[in-house]
Amino acid sequence: MNLRKTLWILPSFLLVLSVLLYPAFRAVFLSVTHYGLSTDFETRFAGLDNFHRILSDSRLHDSFAVTALFVGLSVALEFLLGLGLALAASRSMRGQNVVRTLLLIPWTLPTAIVGVLWAWILNDQFGILNHVLAQTGLIESPVAWLAQPSTALASIIAADVWKTIPFVFLILLAGIQSIPRELYEAIEVDGGGAWAAFRYVTWPHLMPFAFIALIFRIIQAFAVFDLPYVLTGGGPGGATETVSLYAYQTTMRYLDFSYGSAIVITLVLVLALVALALRRLLKEPA
Amino acid sequence: MTTALLAGLIALSLRTPASDAGAISILMEPDGTGAWKDLFVQFKQQYPEITVKWVEGPPATNTREDMYSTAFLAGQGGFDVVFSDVVWIPKFAAAGWLLDLSSRISPRDRDDFLPADIRGGTYAGRLYRIPAFTDAGLLYFRKDLVPSAPETFEQFVQLAREQRNKDRWGFVWQGKQYEGLVTVFLEVLWGYGGEWIDPDTRSVHLDEPQATDALRFLTESVGDISPPGVTTYTEEEARSIFQNGRSVFLRNWLYVWRLLDQGGAITPAQVGFAPMPHGAGGKSAAALGGYGFAISRFTDNPEDAWRLVEFLTRPESLVQLRDRMGVVPARRSQVPSEFLPILLGARPRPPIPEYAQASDILQRWLSAALTGRTSPEKALREAALETRLLLKAE
Repeated sequence: MNLRKTLWILPSFLLVLSVLLYPAFRAVFLSVTHYGLSTDFETRFAGLDNFHRILSDSRLHDSFAVTALFVGLSVALEFLLGLGLALAASRSMRGQNVVRTLLLIPWTLPTAIVGVLWAWILNDQFGILNHVLAQTGLIESPVAWLAQPSTALASIIAADVWKTIPFVFLILLAGIQSIPRELYEAIEVDGGGAWAAFRYVTWPHLMPFAFIALIFRIIQAFAVFDLPYVLTGGGPGGATETVSLYAYQTTMRYLDFSYGSAIVITLVLVLALVALALRRLLKEPA
Repeated sequence: MTTALLAGLIALSLRTPASDAGAISILMEPDGTGAWKDLFVQFKQQYPEITVKWVEGPPATNTREDMYSTAFLAGQGGFDVVFSDVVWIPKFAAAGWLLDLSSRISPRDRDDFLPADIRGGTYAGRLYRIPAFTDAGLLYFRKDLVPSAPETFEQFVQLAREQRNKDRWGFVWQGKQYEGLVTVFLEVLWGYGGEWIDPDTRSVHLDEPQATDALRFLTESVGDISPPGVTTYTEEEARSIFQNGRSVFLRNWLYVWRLLDQGGAITPAQVGFAPMPHGAGGKSAAALGGYGFAISRFTDNPEDAWRLVEFLTRPESLVQLRDRMGVVPARRSQVPSEFLPILLGARPRPPIPEYAQASDILQRWLSAALTGRTSPEKALREAALETRLLLKAE
């Protein structure tokens, strides 16, 4: 009887083992060895050498700063805009299904395609953005958006916000629709206005949904790879090199698998801390 | 049932398509002119028994480098022949991914290929890459404005300043943070008699006075004889400014020569070319570029792979590529004589396995100095420090 039960979970266990657990353990193992081009692909035990290197690697520190800035700005913008859209779309109106479906389109596109799309929008010679800005007289000569450190990062954030607002919107809309109508009626009876309704009814009920939306977005944003890879390749001057991009360069171009693994593990640890902090923050009574 | 399905799926994914067996596969650049396709057709006519599976890859060479690396890391079933940039060889050879071709090349060919291209394909005394076409950095100048090319950096800056006006800059080059910037810096550095990394002793020379002179020359150009935006230019931006008549000098590769009659405000008659200038005590230098062919260690058919490499690099094939794509064959007997002095002075970038990483370190610090975020001295000191750490890491 017990054996049969075990057999039922075997396939999913094997799947998780081969595509999740094995790579994870392999990464942990690699991070305490030297393995790669410099060791002729032989494994040598390294203890904490790779993590010592992390402490003094200025390029990695820069990439963490870039990633943090990217996460902070893009997730904040996505959340605020997504919330605004969800509040607006929660009232029933004519054609709401069409509008909601249209809003989802960016989310359905693969990120690499979004990158190529925005590269063309932002192109200094042929891009539509410069064309529109020049037509309206806002700029005199074309701006090379991806050539300056600040505008390059801003461009990547814009592309990410454009793509992921629908995700936040969808989760928050589901949250808003789950709030019982009576609560709003009660607020009205008590003489509260729109702000009171939001502050005392919508927001407290939305908390768990906001937590889910934020945690998913933060985790994804921390690991951002495809947008900078396609749009800037990490340039100019390393200004848009995220941690994932650096880990990729270290592993695939420098063929240093151990240090690449150590970077990824550090990233995961930092992420775990951020998730814990966020959980505390949103669980505190408002 | 599920297990069986899963096992089936795994088995299916591990199976390589049967049609690939025995074929020679190779990842190429995009074949814009159709010249490669014709060569592969001719190969098939000569060797009907060998099937070549050639794939057009993306235009960015570092993306193709990553694609080759990924295939090699997976071992068997990747590409048999490597269409290789000169800078990939040390890494691929050190990783043990390439076959030693030293004994396969004929003595006659070895003499005919340009010495720098042979050196660029050599790692630890063994030849891994047969050159196909070569490339080198050189100085293009406006013959109608400057009667003859300057020899030293001093004369060069003086001429550039004299000829510069409100519509025209003195000098455009590649200042963006990428591999091109390293080649420009190396040409100036070598011109001052300096050195980056000695491949034999693995010593780093970036914090020596010649290196400071070289980087000062570039940083002081920005905003003076070169436009401030030069720090974002790659080859094509610089070329279009020069061809629109908006610069007196241009540092670029050989390919520009073939494109001078295509559009722009100036005619080919207005343009001359020369080796890059040099410092008072140094001599002109050019960074070596270009492509060749190598063979994967994982190939099942080394003999067939060699036939393909031999075919693609023979004089008749290279002539076709020269005439149709405008590339310069790496054979002495086929180089247009006017380019020969420049090409004979070309030097490969240091053939060390950690090249990509060393280049990234240098690019970042050069870019920081060029955009004024740090002084040239500090940039080179830091770059030297990081490079030394990298090279003694094991």
